[in-house]
Amino acid sequence: MNEKLQTALAATRRHFLQGCGVGLANMFLAEAQTADGPLAPKKPHHAPKAKSVIFLHMAGSPSQLELFDYKPELVKYNGKPCPDELLKGKRFAFIKGVPKMLGTPYKFKQHGQSGAWLSELLPHFSSIVDDVTIVRSMSTDQFNHAPAQLFVHTGNPRFGFASMGAWATYGLGTENQDLPGFVVLTSGGNNPDGGKSLWGSAFLPSVYQGVHCRSHGDPVLFLSDPDGMTRNVRRKTLDALKDLNAIQAKQSGDPETEARMGQYELAYRMQISVPNVMDISKEPEAVHKAYGTEPGKTSLANNCLLARRLVENGVRFVQIYDWGWDHHGTSKRDDIQYALQPHIRTADQAVTALIKDLKQRGLLDQTLVVWGGEFGRTPMRENRGGTEGAFIGRDHHPYAYTMWMAGGGMKKGLNYGETDEIGYYVTKDKMTPRDLQATILHQLGLDPHRLHYPYLGLNQRLIGPSEEARVMKDLLA
Amino acid sequence: MRWLLWIGAALCLGAQTPDFQRDIRPLLGKRCVACHGPDEHGRQAGLRLDTFDGATKTKAIVPGDSAKSRVIARVSHASRPMPPTGPRLTDAEISLLKKWIDGGAGYTKHWAYEKPKRTAYPPTANAIDYFVQQQLQAEKLTPAKPADRGTLARRAALDLIGVPPEPAVLAKYMQGGSYSEYLDALLASPQYGERWAKVWLDLARYADTQGYEKDSKRTIWPYRDWVIRAFNENLPFDKFTTLQLAADLMPDPSVDDLIATGFHRNTMTNTEGGTDDEEFRDAAIRDRVATTGQVWMGQTWGCAQCHTHKYDPLSHKEFYQIYAFFNQTADDDHPSDRPVLKLTSTASTLVMKELAEDKRRKTRIYDRGNFLTPGEEVHAAVPAAFHKLPEKAPVNRLGFAQWLVSQENPLTARVTVNRFWSRLFGRGLVESEEDFGTQGVGPTHPELLDELALDFQKDWDMKKLLKRIAMSETYQQSSEVSPELLQKDPANKFYARGARFRLDAEMVRDQALAVAGLLSHKQFGPPVMPWQPDGVWLVVYNGDRWVTSKGEDRYRRAMYTFMRRSSAYPSMMNFDAPTGETCTIRRIRTNTPLQALTSMNDPAFMEAAQRLAERAQKESPADPAKRLFELVLLRQPNKAEAARVAALHRQTEAELKTQPENTGKLLRYSDYLYKEDREATLIADARTSPKEWRYVTADPGAEWTKPEFDDRNWGAGPGYFGYFEKPQETTPIKTTWDTDSLWLRYTLDLPAPLPTNFKMPIRTNAQFDIWVNGVVAWNNMFERSGHYEYLLNDDGQKAFRPGRNVIAVKVSRHGTKKSGQVFDPGLVASLPVPVQKPGRADASRAAWVVVANTILNLDETVTRR
Repeated sequence: MNEKLQTALAATRRHFLQGCGVGLANMFLAEAQTADGPLAPKKPHHAPKAKSVIFLHMAGSPSQLELFDYKPELVKYNGKPCPDELLKGKRFAFIKGVPKMLGTPYKFKQHGQSGAWLSELLPHFSSIVDDVTIVRSMSTDQFNHAPAQLFVHTGNPRFGFASMGAWATYGLGTENQDLPGFVVLTSGGNNPDGGKSLWGSAFLPSVYQGVHCRSHGDPVLFLSDPDGMTRNVRRKTLDALKDLNAIQAKQSGDPETEARMGQYELAYRMQISVPNVMDISKEPEAVHKAYGTEPGKTSLANNCLLARRLVENGVRFVQIYDWGWDHHGTSKRDDIQYALQPHIRTADQAVTALIKDLKQRGLLDQTLVVWGGEFGRTPMRENRGGTEGAFIGRDHHPYAYTMWMAGGGMKKGLNYGETDEIGYYVTKDKMTPRDLQATILHQLGLDPHRLHYPYLGLNQRLIGPSEEARVMKDLLA
Repeated sequence: MRWLLWIGAALCLGAQTPDFQRDIRPLLGKRCVACHGPDEHGRQAGLRLDTFDGATKTKAIVPGDSAKSRVIARVSHASRPMPPTGPRLTDAEISLLKKWIDGGAGYTKHWAYEKPKRTAYPPTANAIDYFVQQQLQAEKLTPAKPADRGTLARRAALDLIGVPPEPAVLAKYMQGGSYSEYLDALLASPQYGERWAKVWLDLARYADTQGYEKDSKRTIWPYRDWVIRAFNENLPFDKFTTLQLAADLMPDPSVDDLIATGFHRNTMTNTEGGTDDEEFRDAAIRDRVATTGQVWMGQTWGCAQCHTHKYDPLSHKEFYQIYAFFNQTADDDHPSDRPVLKLTSTASTLVMKELAEDKRRKTRIYDRGNFLTPGEEVHAAVPAAFHKLPEKAPVNRLGFAQWLVSQENPLTARVTVNRFWSRLFGRGLVESEEDFGTQGVGPTHPELLDELALDFQKDWDMKKLLKRIAMSETYQQSSEVSPELLQKDPANKFYARGARFRLDAEMVRDQALAVAGLLSHKQFGPPVMPWQPDGVWLVVYNGDRWVTSKGEDRYRRAMYTFMRRSSAYPSMMNFDAPTGETCTIRRIRTNTPLQALTSMNDPAFMEAAQRLAERAQKESPADPAKRLFELVLLRQPNKAEAARVAALHRQTEAELKTQPENTGKLLRYSDYLYKEDREATLIADARTSPKEWRYVTADPGAEWTKPEFDDRNWGAGPGYFGYFEKPQETTPIKTTWDTDSLWLRYTLDLPAPLPTNFKMPIRTNAQFDIWVNGVVAWNNMFERSGHYEYLLNDDGQKAFRPGRNVIAVKVSRHGTKKSGQVFDPGLVASLPVPVQKPGRADASRAAWVVVANTILNLDETVTRR
């Protein structure tokens, strides 16, 4: 780097450090452009418990009543009409009139030292309950997929707000500059209903938005060199680019030129490092067997293994979206017997393998794993259009559902929260998506109340403007 | 920075009384007003410090006597100082407060709520240069030398029309033509409207889909075209405003006028199952209020939808009084996006329509912004802190629009000139373009902002404003910067040099197409789909697919690219273009590796490089490098650059000489890229003359998908396969299939080299699975009825081989037999690019493609300087 540029860069840095005392927004914007790069690791607010997050979102929302929340009373009421007081003033996505109560067809049993009640659909997960915190008292206020998903990930049911992974990388930067700091993996089929806004940066600089790694074609768009251009030729073009840019920078004096060249070199390194980390084919056979992975496929299992490889390589936030959990019971394909069973079978295996793998590698303590949907499912059987169909399913239910967390400083083997005897309302230790957001940020070493960005005259925060979000101390080890 | 210097100066001088606007309001705003401000719910101890009455009533402030003012005691308290959180006020800040109180504690209005004031300047001077130089002198800075012609030509063209200048226009200016005439030519070019329409469409949150979960297509491009025409015709900004907000309420609006009301029909429509239309209608109205406040007045009104604004003068109630203006339109979050205006037999566009008198809605204050908890009824009214509705203005959207562009409005002209300034200098005179309120950043040059605003609101002439700015010496300065100046003014707030910043997303792409000679001049019409990678659109509910456009529609300006809110065009997204979900007042420019990957590797950029290289070699066979620089940067390469480019070309050529295949790919990049152009039908379906498939309707056993399976005793018949209780005219059944399942086989001979990108066009209402030579090539993961092309999966693609191939399909009825069933398969694929005999100069020609790719990635290329 020539001397002139060095002086310029130093001056730029000094300016940003001074902060000027006015124009807060300016300062924040400037921060995103510092010479070390906007993704350079930053000091957390307090000592972190987790370095990385893997958030496994089962889009559509799996039924807590078939998996985690044991309700023998509901089984007794099976087929009885739903009492009026549970319907009055309520809005449902599809239920019309008076639906019937629906007990689960699956058997539950207690597992582990924690004595967690779990359904027979979770044979693998049952073996790790003592490493996990299960929250059966989640409650949200959104009952449609897109708004509910946006609420979980951006703190607002509307479009236009920054996502959790964007906040985390904005607050902390990332450990490995050769990989994106915030990676999104989807397992084929549907993208989640909330669309790309679920990993967007909204008002935060777009450098913080999630990078959607694809399982077909380039894992990151435009990662491959163009057809006909070898690595060797690409290297030569970058060398020429660097020299030509330097000739101009000498004349223009603009430090931006050097910063841009830095991004080209980073891109060049990413062209190697991203395919490397995304290539699971060299993992040993035992690993593939444990996860149920098949190299080259698009699946939740592959994404679970990728998530481990990504956090192992210093990626800050891995967001996984799985699809097809919206079991309404309108056909064989979304029935809680025909469709849920095969779906949970592969998920149960892959997700459990992820926890075990992280633990065995000593990564679980520094990686917070979160699993769940955007809301729960009704204790009533869905009767779309007012009539009961041939198949069995449940409608969207915001009032009570289950999520679980593991690693990253969470208590091990904790059963938290309770719902009433039919699983309709939370009766003890209610936890909201805002509480979840606050807790995740807290574990990363960020104060959810302090982490903000000035925009439109407000200090925008993931947890929203009110102070209702709580760091769930009861869940922390 | 300047504020801080002033505060410093005020402290040093000691005797000077602090200025309320400059020194006190920011201090109170930052440290006190969140709890002691306009928000009556959040207010602590019943005290407000943002008004004279509020502060003096409780003796918190006793004008002229800081010793008796409780505020001073509280902020100086030894153990429990105010504010209760965050750092203490510094001694300097407390001293400022004291001096201000002792000087009478004068509260003046926030600068932006006072009408602009004219500051005199010498009649012979250019106002812009005069006010800028006044400050330069104060800072002991001198303006930079003027930029050279080439630089200025490129700068003005990119700023004013968003693409490089037309060769004739450029040539005239470069050969000594006048700069003023050059600007006139740019402003008169049809591309001017496209550039500025895109700026406006960011604000209008324009997109070609409805948004939310399903994000289905919507037709509102006639509005986009209206905006382009409005800019090109230089519609005065006041009329531009009233037409967009309320043309439907004006006497005898033309069809064009009504199209303009699409501005606020760009709000999203939620068609997800089970959503409450009223909830999302309400969301749309709030969006319209918030967007209007931001776009015209730089006000963050959206903050007041849940509670009174914490900093600016807009109460919770006043938000809903503005809401009431917008609450009487007929649109209601219906999936049909009604009301629409029919334009031709096939095209219509979304418009505003006021409800009939007897259908009027009541507007209520929503407690904490929740539409399920309506409170007190309110009526349309403008906020009390501002001027009144103009006399004779109706109390409806039209009246509100007239209020926005009234000569009494202190903000509209300022906000608008600031936006134009910002697009030409990379930063506004008020940097926080979206917030002119008390939490925003004050203007760097207040006198200049007011001068421009006052002049603009005389005739609202946008082209005149742009020319006025571009004619200033301030604008025409060279952007070169010394380390000393960079240190003193890194962000260029004093304008001692020209601005230098990265191009907008659209310009990065359009410029590449333009210099390659690819850019289409076609204007207007439905959005187009240039090449984009497979799999960017993953849409399930509806059949919306990305189908690459044909011909020149592949190379239209980026603003015509189909804009799906939930799935942005990748290169646009990577270069910070907004998605159209909400109003975007200014784009935040970032610098990321994804941008480098895009301009290096995106096939669209690579195709431009190929054509650019061809063009440079054709137009300057002896020295293509020189022509590359001329085309892209409008300048000659210097000696060092020429040598470096020559070296790159030499190295690349040497390497390519041993790589004929790579050479061919580089030279015929488009042929390889547009696989749809090479598409051929391998198995015809019922749309033409359908081929016969082998079929059975009873389970043929385990081995039936294998190529070696013997299907000679199967039946043979063409599509449509199926059964209907009543014969269907559109789908005449040729081979009856009325059982639960159907097994099909087709034997196909393929040549070498193999075609690629095998797709099966299938018309059906059933579920199906596909095998190629016994390998699973398609699992029907989700059912949908209709006619779609199914791209076979990777394994299936790889299973084809030269010679004999067998495609096997198992079809299963999805609904009931009563509702009928149909299946009609076909197969298409892209033929390989024909091999051409390599030529002697091919390696050199291909090396120029690599050089062109490099030139398109120069920092200078993606920068406007």
